[in-house]
Amino acid sequence: MSDQVDHKEMYISGAPACPGIVIGNTSLFQRVRPHITDTQIADDEAEDHIRKFYEAIDIAEEELEELLENTDLKASTDLIQMQIAILKDPELHDRVEQEISANNKPVDSAVESIFRNYLQVIRQNHGETFQNKSVDISDIRDRLLQIIHNKRDDIKEGTILVAKELSPREIISFSNRDIKGLITDRGGATSHAAIIARSMNIPTVVGTKKATEVINSGDEVVLDGRNGEVVVYPKDETRKKYKSLIAQQSKRQADFESLCKKPNRTSDGTPFTLQANIEFAEELSIANKYQAEGVGLLRTESIYLSRKHFQDIDHQVAFYASILELTAPHKVTIRLFDVGGDKFFGDEEKEQNPFLGWRGIRMLLEQPKLLKNQLRAIFKTSSDFMGRIRILVPMVSTINEIRKLKNIIDEVQKELLNEGINIDKEIPLGLMVEIPSVALKANLFARHADFLSIGTNDLTQYTLAVDRGNERISNLYDQRHPAIWQLIKEVAEAGERNGAPVSVCGELASDPIAVCCLMGLGIDTLSMNAVVLPAVKQLLRSNSYADMQRLAKKVLQAETLDDIDNIFSNWETKE
Amino acid sequence: MIKKKVTIVNDAGLHARPAAALVKLASKFESDFYIHLYGYKVNGKSILGVMTLAAEKGAELELELDGPDEKEATEAITELIDDGFGEVYEDENE
Repeated sequence: MSDQVDHKEMYISGAPACPGIVIGNTSLFQRVRPHITDTQIADDEAEDHIRKFYEAIDIAEEELEELLENTDLKASTDLIQMQIAILKDPELHDRVEQEISANNKPVDSAVESIFRNYLQVIRQNHGETFQNKSVDISDIRDRLLQIIHNKRDDIKEGTILVAKELSPREIISFSNRDIKGLITDRGGATSHAAIIARSMNIPTVVGTKKATEVINSGDEVVLDGRNGEVVVYPKDETRKKYKSLIAQQSKRQADFESLCKKPNRTSDGTPFTLQANIEFAEELSIANKYQAEGVGLLRTESIYLSRKHFQDIDHQVAFYASILELTAPHKVTIRLFDVGGDKFFGDEEKEQNPFLGWRGIRMLLEQPKLLKNQLRAIFKTSSDFMGRIRILVPMVSTINEIRKLKNIIDEVQKELLNEGINIDKEIPLGLMVEIPSVALKANLFARHADFLSIGTNDLTQYTLAVDRGNERISNLYDQRHPAIWQLIKEVAEAGERNGAPVSVCGELASDPIAVCCLMGLGIDTLSMNAVVLPAVKQLLRSNSYADMQRLAKKVLQAETLDDIDNIFSNWETKE
Repeated sequence: MIKKKVTIVNDAGLHARPAAALVKLASKFESDFYIHLYGYKVNGKSILGVMTLAAEKGAELELELDGPDEKEATEAITELIDDGFGEVYEDENE
């Protein structure tokens, strides 16, 4: 804290890049652009300078390798790997050596001038657009120069960092030093650095334009990452206000966390299972905090869509493995690619009704290479995670689709076994119940599946004939509709009769009272966005299974959506 | 020595990640590897060199390989480029 008393409280604002409030003292981070020696070296000094260069390369590479081990974020690993490739660049090595030995440049000046040449050509050829990417190149140059000059930054642990701008590499390395928050002059909320800060959950405000001008090292600041506000030299009352906000937030958080540690049982002792729906590994930090018991729905579309034809099986395996590692010992349900054909075969294939069209398993069966690649990746992953993977098939509408898929699974399994790869041959195969005909014939479908997962989002849209994206009729879309409950009941009973466990992974499972009703129908496994997990758990724990059964019975007798709303709000006030 | 023309097909072009993948693959082979584009010639095993090319989608590269495993190297490198380095575009969320 500053000793001077005459500092006036000051507000600066930027773009919120990662929520969370922190109060603390700052460290000012300045990129050290070391003073480059402009002298010439003697011929017999060259060897020494070349050795220094390779030492710096080794140190920088070791640092990056260490960062690589501590991050499982795709964006970070790509960046770090690119920087490692630069350090290993044989041409860079030759040129720097040449500059030292033939031009008698000292090592720092040699590094500086060779990088300057590269950056010049790169900027010239790429034009403006490359500005962003050249940051990562100059960043690794600066790190090399810092190492050569043996410079250390003077960032104190546990402080809030203030910088002009930060490279992604810098943020990753700061996160290992207990930095409480980040404030930058430049950058936007969607910048690479902001994305990385968010995934590491460091409260961050970017683009303040003047933070480094008005904040000194050691000043006290309040950083409010929810709205992008920074208070410099906070007054006593401001500090008090934010402290109570922080206390409130952490109390709620602590309440949630302690609630989530309690057993998953209703007040009369019936067990239930709460899982998370996720798409990225980063989402698991919150799921794990709230004690989600595995992943009930792992969406695989995002990796698919960013990889043309998705031929990179190893990349898929790495993705699945990263999720499984972070969720041990629980199960992970991998849903096969669930997208419409129009999404990756271009506009010429555009359909009039994509939701009723060529998507999910319908499309996959006609793209055997695509499907086989994903299955290969899943089975390959299974060798290290026996008994923990389940496969979920989207958009199933006929028994024939399941037969065909099972044949392809057999083929893939045989191929892998022939290649000597140890695989989990017992991976359960489950069906998404999202088409009304499947729900109505659940008894038949349940006989062909190891488990059923009800996708209430699409089931609602198909049953009520309401396009949820169409604003003019969005009032007609409601997952609590009596018809939906009727279908869910059919599926729950069919699963029970045929020994196929039933779970729900749609939005209905994020609605705490609806979840009580699902429990009452005998569906005890729910998968949801982890954020709502504490609220769902709270309600399940504070009610009895017997009450939930009564609730379900009433709901099944309801005639209209209004009836259901009434039943639900009465149930709520009963609390 | 083998010379072969290939076209960059991925939307983002030969930017950082693909350049890293290309260099990594090329370094596995013993053969010398050069890329010609717009009158430039760069060492295909040098990531900085490859990045100076600024090859965008549609750019036609000429690969030049020379060495004992030039055939395998040409095949592998061509496949990587034809596959668009396994990407259509850079996904913001990744």
